Amino acid sequence: MKALVVYAHPNPSSLCAAARDRVTAGLAAAGHEIRLLDLYAEEFVPELSSWEREHHLDDPATKPEIARHAADLRWCDTLVLVYPTWYSAQPAIMKGWIDRVWVNGVAYELPADSNRIRPLLQHIRRIVVVTTHGSSKWVNAVQGEGGKRVAFRSLRVLCSPRCRTTWLALYGADTCSQERRSAFLERVEKKFRTLR
Amino acid sequence: MQVLVVLAHPTAGSLNHAIADRACTALRTAGHDVHLLDLYALGFRAAMTADERAAYHTDEPIVDPLVREHAQLVRTAEALVFVYPTWWSSMPAILKGWLERVFVPGVGFQFNEAGKVRPALTHVRRLVGISTYGSPWPYVKVINDNGRRTIMRTIRINTGTFTRTHWLGLYAIDTATADDRERFLERVERRMRSL
Repeated sequence: MKALVVYAHPNPSSLCAAARDRVTAGLAAAGHEIRLLDLYAEEFVPELSSWEREHHLDDPATKPEIARHAADLRWCDTLVLVYPTWYSAQPAIMKGWIDRVWVNGVAYELPADSNRIRPLLQHIRRIVVVTTHGSSKWVNAVQGEGGKRVAFRSLRVLCSPRCRTTWLALYGADTCSQERRSAFLERVEKKFRTLR
Repeated sequence: MQVLVVLAHPTAGSLNHAIADRACTALRTAGHDVHLLDLYALGFRAAMTADERAAYHTDEPIVDPLVREHAQLVRTAEALVFVYPTWWSSMPAILKGWLERVFVPGVGFQFNEAGKVRPALTHVRRLVGISTYGSPWPYVKVINDNGRRTIMRTIRINTGTFTRTHWLGLYAIDTATADDRERFLERVERRMRSL
């Protein structure tokens, strides 16, 4: 398996950082190839620029600043997103990675005079989300789990038609015990050790 | 009413800018006090910094002076109007980041003694979202409109019980005609006049 792990948290000692380490440890133990993208560490710019907006249908070869990210997406067959859920969804820096990298010619094609896009990431067979929610599962259900829907619907439709999805979430992270945190990290590592 | 309009589109001259202009003009005509935040023009930074994250659960969660200025505008607002293009079934990163950095504890919500989230936007009486979509309406409904959910649910539960909400969407803009766009602008204008 070729796993692209996209990680977004500003604090290197956060629970998400620990989860990221468990993800890579699990994948490495199972002998998978890993590429880790740490959006904060590389100071990824999340704001899609006016130029990018104007040229959003251009050949991605004309956009060198996203070339490496596009190559990573083309390379992987498993996409892993590790992030804290803020305001029901991915942090801005990860939303910006989607806005700027999942463009025409990388993630999809938009035929002329059409509203219907054609997927270009059909080699991606699995999407895994590892996330922490400050609030409870109930509150997140009421709010609608926007981040889950972005990953498992909006992104997934551009992947393989049989792309599988795996959701690993810790709810109530703001108030939960150390034991629950440890159990969550254990669950994450175990999942990645046995991921097929 | 004190109305705060938040616009998130990178290109001056875009349809979203035209929408925000119409909305502001109509609101002013109706006698409201309007403040427009054009996030791209202000050079707003979307990513919450490590310092901000470290301060988040303290008594002083705001570090950046620009964020403090925006938080003050939110605290006095009686209506919030969001204008943005829907990308990836959600809001652009710059607007998502604005919510993350400005709607911090004490502004967008508050924690009670038990650490539970409680409303802090009870002064907001009207919550409005105006968005343009590349996809046609049925597709947006199937995939889900996550930007709308964030505003109409996640923010809504932090406003008052009687806060009224309005959503205005222009779908399938890639194939929308000039007439469709003009009709939508007129709809925005009517809605804002009678807010």
